[in-house]
Amino acid sequence: MISRLHIAYEDLFRKKTRTVLTLIGIILSSWVLVSLLGFNKGFELALNRDIDNMGYQVMVMAKGCPYEAATMMLQGGRGLRYIEQSMVENISKEPEVEAITPILMQAFFDPNKGESGGIAGYYGVQAKSYPGMKPFLKFKSGGWFHEDDAPQVVMGFEAAELEQREVGDMILVPEKNVELKVVGILERTGSQDDGTIFVPLKTLQKIAGTDKITTIGIKIKKGADMAALEEKLYKLPNMQVVSFTQVKQTIMKLISTARVMVLSIAFIAIIIAMVGVANTILMSVIERKQEIGILKMMGALPGDIFRLVWTETLILCAGGSAIGIVLALLFARVTDLVVRQILPYVPNGGLVSIDVVLALETFGVIVAVGLLSGLFPAWKAGRVRPLQTVKSE
Amino acid sequence: MKKYFKVITIFLFFFGLPEAFAAIGCDLNDPVRDVARLFPGSSGYKMRYASITELGGEPLLKKIKERLGGNSKVLFAPIDVPYTIYEVYNGSTKLGYIHGVNQKGQYGGTQVFIIQNLNGTIRNFYIQKISGPAAAKFRSPAFGIQFIGMSVKDFGGMDASTCKGKGRITKVVNPAPEAEADFMGIMRGLKKNLILMDEFVFSAGAKK
Amino acid sequence: MSKYLIEAKNLTRIYHRGSEVIHAVDNVSLNVQRGEFVSFVGPSGSGKTTLINLLGCLDNPTSGTLSLADKEIFGGGITLSERLLTRIRRNIFGYIFQNFYLIPTLTVRENVSVPLVFYKKKGVVDEVDKLLELLGIANRADHLPVEISGGEMQRVAIARALVNRPEILLADEPTGNLDTVRSDEVGHLLSDLNKKTGVTIIMVTHNPAIARLGGRIINVTDGRISEKTSV
Repeated sequence: MISRLHIAYEDLFRKKTRTVLTLIGIILSSWVLVSLLGFNKGFELALNRDIDNMGYQVMVMAKGCPYEAATMMLQGGRGLRYIEQSMVENISKEPEVEAITPILMQAFFDPNKGESGGIAGYYGVQAKSYPGMKPFLKFKSGGWFHEDDAPQVVMGFEAAELEQREVGDMILVPEKNVELKVVGILERTGSQDDGTIFVPLKTLQKIAGTDKITTIGIKIKKGADMAALEEKLYKLPNMQVVSFTQVKQTIMKLISTARVMVLSIAFIAIIIAMVGVANTILMSVIERKQEIGILKMMGALPGDIFRLVWTETLILCAGGSAIGIVLALLFARVTDLVVRQILPYVPNGGLVSIDVVLALETFGVIVAVGLLSGLFPAWKAGRVRPLQTVKSE
Repeated sequence: MKKYFKVITIFLFFFGLPEAFAAIGCDLNDPVRDVARLFPGSSGYKMRYASITELGGEPLLKKIKERLGGNSKVLFAPIDVPYTIYEVYNGSTKLGYIHGVNQKGQYGGTQVFIIQNLNGTIRNFYIQKISGPAAAKFRSPAFGIQFIGMSVKDFGGMDASTCKGKGRITKVVNPAPEAEADFMGIMRGLKKNLILMDEFVFSAGAKK
Repeated sequence: MSKYLIEAKNLTRIYHRGSEVIHAVDNVSLNVQRGEFVSFVGPSGSGKTTLINLLGCLDNPTSGTLSLADKEIFGGGITLSERLLTRIRRNIFGYIFQNFYLIPTLTVRENVSVPLVFYKKKGVVDEVDKLLELLGIANRADHLPVEISGGEMQRVAIARALVNRPEILLADEPTGNLDTVRSDEVGHLLSDLNKKTGVTIIMVTHNPAIARLGGRIINVTDGRISEKTSV
């Protein structure tokens, strides 16, 4: 015994080309929508991941540092603003602080890098507090240094590749000509740590001829009031505070305009696809007027005809949406690559995150909008009078 | 607004750090400037990428390994690393090639570039990066001039471990005997560079 | 209980075409008993199709009354909605037409089953295959309409019209698109159905030979009827 679904399906594929073209419109709009929504979600997740990889949620540094950072990159550390290491002790007393680590970023000029020289950057960290901030860091070989004044380094994966270093090899700090031994090489993390050379803090301070630091990394206790801590830190003289929540919000704001624009385009694409659906179904109803009249003579009520035609819309939209979502999943990597080409900053890792909930939400939106667009053709079909069928013979 | 820019600059500084180390492969730092300097008379260049995987896979890797000196730990070429070959032109006339390799030195990686004529002979030599107190000596023109006119034939018989061989390479003088490891690194780098170019370009016939 | 299945009194259907007034059916009164096979004959434009549309509840009359199985359907000047007419039709009538109107993408069996998708009269059992046997098209059950002959298509249409066990079969020019041989086959088929199953048949036809297969012939001219004993 056949069903309404069967009749609706057969009706749809009487004109294969027309149905397939309409389907393609729905597939494309569905693909774009779910990819965009996946990107919205994925970007934020990836950004959170990047920020989590920092290990700490708040950084404190000397005022004016961001501009000096550019100077440091070009001139090798001259003019860099430092902060007293005693600041670490003061801040660690705050009740919101779970862990704290002092960092010294230092760069030296290497005349033998490129035609006119380049800079070599080093990250001075405390042996006891820094690894605790980043317990997720894994070693390809070797491990962390144990003493803050050891003449040793730990290298990020890519830094070690570039310098062709293995554990046990030596590196030479340019400008100062200090030898340091490689004691550990990290596994690839996909973050900025890959290109970093970590030096024990006191060792780097000695090489740079300073007892100061440039940054303090702060890990907040779970559930603690971050805003309250930030307020206290803002009061520190000549210091500026950067919380990664702030960074994340700023970056999200940066891309939100672009996101809104692209989402709008996606919705316009959906509306155009749905107009196509309405047109296809309406044309089909007009072509089948006589047949619909006969169905009514066979006992189909106006509501039955309405439901039959609406089922055709449902088949088109549900089928197209499902295929579009599957294609979006299959080509998520390609979408990722395209986005990376376009955006100036992208976090590491996958950018497009499509899960079951998102897929179902997209499916629901497309089907709902599709059913709306199918209302008029279905209503029109329900109003066909059998007599018109006989008269039109 | 000022705070906004500060925040972004800090963020980009922290997340931008990898850029300083991102180029693990051996590309010229400033190709436009470097090609013009290294190849006087040129008007431009095209970049081509070659990897052992693409150009011959395992059989090619095996051949290159044998030419480099067997399963040497000090001299090897990974199968999937993409090598950048700069094809140098004057107008539409090809003049030659520039190609670099990264080789282990005493204190860091040494980036050894050779500039070759169309027949494969070295017409110029450039060390883009080298670490150590003797770096300046290896980067001096007096050292590099020794390799002008050499080709893959001169390095073919060189032992990868000892860097000893026959012919012209025996006349190459180490300007920094205290940095023997760097000197050997450069010699190995040259051998690898010449053999790779021989396989990627000069033996490829019409693919040049 | 009336002995008549169909009782029509003073049925009139008027159309307006601009300023012109057309009496398509003009004051027609007729009765049809259960089990009768009535053929309406007449020239084109005589109003016979309009008349059976009224008898078949496909249209509302301008005036007059119609009762089916003792139930008054039209009368008192009330116009019935399409929904209500459908409910009435599906309980009483089965329809067949000159153009068959089979769904081209469904098989023979599926075409016959279509009415049951929308409505199954009380007591009706799904006996599609039995109907196909009765009409001599069981061997075509899995074929598409494009794969069968005109005569077979009309048999499928008849089977479809009978699937819900209607009391009245309305046939508008059922042999209009068939050749002489097939026309004769279909005509005799309807006659056999009428005798075997007792279904009342109302038929419109141009074909005098087919008209004679029924027991009663009614002539329609200019919207009026007259009974004939022979054509």
